Amino acid sequence: MSGKAQSVVKKQGLAPWQISLLSVTSGLFVWQMISDYVIANPLFLASPLQVVKALMRLIETGELWKHVYTSGIEFFAGYAIAAVIGICVGLLIATSAFAKHWLQPWISGFYATPTVALGPLFILWLGIGVWSKIVIVFLLVVFAVIINTEAGIRSTSERYLEMMRAFGATPRQLFFKVSLPSATPFILAGLKLGIGRGLIGVVVAELFGSRLGLGRLIGASADSFNMPELFAAVSILAASGIAMNSAFAWLEARLVPWTKD
Amino acid sequence: MSKLVSSGLSKWFGDLQALADVNLTVEDGEFVALVGPSGCGKTTFLRTVAGLEAADEGAVYLADKKIEGPGRDRGFVFQQDSLLPWRTVMENTVVGLELAGRLDATETARVRKLLELVGLAGFENYHPRQLSGGMRQRVNLARALAIDPKVLLMDEPFSALDAQTREIMQTELQRIWEEGRKTVLFVTHQIDEAVFLADRVLVFARRPGRLLEDIRIDLPRPRNMATKRRPEFVALVDRIWRLIENDVRESVLVEKI
Ligand SMILES: Nc1ncnc2c1ncn2[C@@H]1O[C@H](COP(=O)(O)OP(=O)(O)OP(=O)(O)O)[C@@H](O)[C@H]1O
Ligand SMILES: [Mg+2]
Repeated sequence: MSGKAQSVVKKQGLAPWQISLLSVTSGLFVWQMISDYVIANPLFLASPLQVVKALMRLIETGELWKHVYTSGIEFFAGYAIAAVIGICVGLLIATSAFAKHWLQPWISGFYATPTVALGPLFILWLGIGVWSKIVIVFLLVVFAVIINTEAGIRSTSERYLEMMRAFGATPRQLFFKVSLPSATPFILAGLKLGIGRGLIGVVVAELFGSRLGLGRLIGASADSFNMPELFAAVSILAASGIAMNSAFAWLEARLVPWTKD
Repeated sequence: MSKLVSSGLSKWFGDLQALADVNLTVEDGEFVALVGPSGCGKTTFLRTVAGLEAADEGAVYLADKKIEGPGRDRGFVFQQDSLLPWRTVMENTVVGLELAGRLDATETARVRKLLELVGLAGFENYHPRQLSGGMRQRVNLARALAIDPKVLLMDEPFSALDAQTREIMQTELQRIWEEGRKTVLFVTHQIDEAVFLADRVLVFARRPGRLLEDIRIDLPRPRNMATKRRPEFVALVDRIWRLIENDVRESVLVEKI
């Protein structure tokens, strides 16, 4: 599959990253053209150049930094707690039938519910500061991590377990030397899934009520029809999402290289 | 001594009798091949010796001790190599010692020698995905040898290999076995492979799975490609094939239904 795709790329004489770069550049170009000649109204659409200018302005006034900092704290705190607790709970329910049946209805329920909708409630309870956002990010991320961790442990190949049993492995050794390493790709996939969910959580929670943060900046810009600023904030969210996903791809290549083929 | 004795061994899976009253003795240092039609219980027998299945009747004794579960006096070489993909060749090979808490510098040095013996010197830090099928089976074998077992249990270890690699691995296994002269139980579908490698070939029959015939192979060692063309060799293969011919036909037909 990938070999075939590569040979096609070779024929065109372009590296994969060159194709992607070309795609993004032409996308930006079309966007610029549309906002210059088709919808030439900054109340509806900001051109890439206007967005860049807005971004520069936000950086110069130091305003951007405050928003990024607040959203960053909310995201990373919620995400980190969710990662730790999610992995632990996932491992627990994969190894204990009682814990599994006790917690499963809650996990399935929460995972299926759009928990962001509970945002106003948490703001009411915890105020408009960072804590309500941390809780929302946590709720959005944690169930994805739990479910993936559990699936990873459960999908451990019976062949490996059997082989280790034949060599006299104890249940404890089976867990640490087979189940856990073979679940690592799944755990990483759950954490990766959590990035997107967590970013949505931050923005939506801030829109519900906050003083600072990128979501707040988006809300305020929308209220004042300041499209360049709105797009500037969205671009930063997009860039951080892409950056974190690439970091994960890099981590996967180092930690679980055997899943690559 | 580490004699292996199966006495009155029977095994059921529900209503299906997989093994019926299997009685046999394998002497210390003997290479014994098990052949028979598909479904005659060869794997079940090997797994019982490994302690992965419990006997319903009778028992297997190794060095006069009844086998009750898996143990490091038996090394299993699996049909699918079951190498852990996140471990290197070296890490895979020492896994048995590691589980026993016996891994130290001396043992590591010994395993290094062992990898040399199976022809994998220089590949210690490769991962399974970087190896060919033949090399993976060599690791599979080295892993079983690393725990220095009394008995080596091999379940169709070369069946996933292409014909040429298979021939080479047969000669290699013979060479490695000559070095240590461990007791080996070797399951195969390839009758010429059984005759080529073994001191004795045990022929199994199916429905229920039972020992049909015990055939001594007196061909001189070391054996080589020329051995396979000798008339005695051909006659032995022919004789074994005729013993299981009907059973094999039947099993193929049954499986088609
Ligand atoms: N875990 C199991 N549960 C139920 N039946 C089983 C189980 N393992 C084996 N059997 C049955 O026992 C019989 C013997 O199986 P076994 O795998 O030992 O045969 P085999 O001689 O190794 O066959 P093959 O040459 O195809 O590998 C078969 O009829 C099989 O269906
Ligand atoms: Mg079998």
